[in-house]
Amino acid sequence: MRITLILLTLFSVTARPQNSAIGTHEKLIYTASYNMSGLLTDIAQVTMETSPVKTSKATLLRLKCTAATYSKWDNFFKIRDLYESYVNPNTLTPYLYNRDINEGSYYKAMKYTFSHKTNTVKSVQTKKNNNVENKTVSIGNYTKDIVSTLYHIRLFDFEHMEIGRSKSLTILFDRKETKAQITYLGKETISTAIGKKECYKLAIGSSAEILEGNNSNLLWLTADNNKIIVYGKFKIPVGNGELKIKSVTGLKH
Amino acid sequence: MKTVCTGLAIVCSVLTAIFAVLPLSNLAVIPALAALVFGLIAFYWSRKTGEVKKIIPFTFLLTGVALCFTIYKAVFTSTEVAETTALEAKESQLEEEAIEALEDIDLDLEDLEGLEDIDIEE
Repeated sequence: MRITLILLTLFSVTARPQNSAIGTHEKLIYTASYNMSGLLTDIAQVTMETSPVKTSKATLLRLKCTAATYSKWDNFFKIRDLYESYVNPNTLTPYLYNRDINEGSYYKAMKYTFSHKTNTVKSVQTKKNNNVENKTVSIGNYTKDIVSTLYHIRLFDFEHMEIGRSKSLTILFDRKETKAQITYLGKETISTAIGKKECYKLAIGSSAEILEGNNSNLLWLTADNNKIIVYGKFKIPVGNGELKIKSVTGLKH
Repeated sequence: MKTVCTGLAIVCSVLTAIFAVLPLSNLAVIPALAALVFGLIAFYWSRKTGEVKKIIPFTFLLTGVALCFTIYKAVFTSTEVAETTALEAKESQLEEEAIEALEDIDLDLEDLEGLEDIDIEE
């Protein structure tokens, strides 16, 4: 009995999900919309793309997310944001992260270099007028950047997860560690631009919000081997934000 | 009642016109409906007292024109992303810089296969 317990404990510590869902040439295109009283206004196009990156030592996976406002918005508030993470293709462990945001007249760039041996991240922040700031931050064992976290959600085994069960994630954003929680809310079939899909419905937020039943930030992932995000709903001060899949290419399965 | 409704109808029809020319033109439907409702109430009360001010039909006209423009924009304006050259150039530049930086990072095979952390804290 004791041996079984030890073996189970060891297995639970060392068992780490491997990437069985994310392909190396995936391209997912989304429309980000603003919804007020059922009236939808398309604001921007969000693209999530993967590609292999070869260095002299290894081949890594580049996870890239871009957001660009539609042309009708460009004269009012132009957004050209880029987020990317260079990760281990098997486990999505991040090594390098870049964030380059251009929003109206606001500019900010952030670069993280992860050192998993020392559990530290070297960050370089650049703002307008080449205002550069270097800082080294300590991180936990499981801390990831926002991009690799988004892809990492797809590695969870929701098929064998109980409804209402949560998983914690630690995200490094703006050089601060933030705790997030993903709660599995069950399966739901929804209509999307790529057809009717059976999905895993997830709630994102802090533990307190979920306990209060405020599941206002929701994600729908296809309940197949690809587990791609097809729909997202986010609460914003006035109305709702929505993320809807527009097209998909290069899936692994 | 008549004055209040007339005032609200004017405000709502002006809001409809403003929304109609903005990228948020879909939202013009909300003040347009309000303008029509307040306009009708004001019109009804004005007819009861026997005097219909010219401003009331004007609010109907303004709301109608703004709604037509909103519908035109919703039907004929395509949602597309333009001017992505700078973003694409940035993507290539960052990739080149990243490859250089990754050469300096301790990325041996052991690191790639061993330190695979997965955050599953339940």
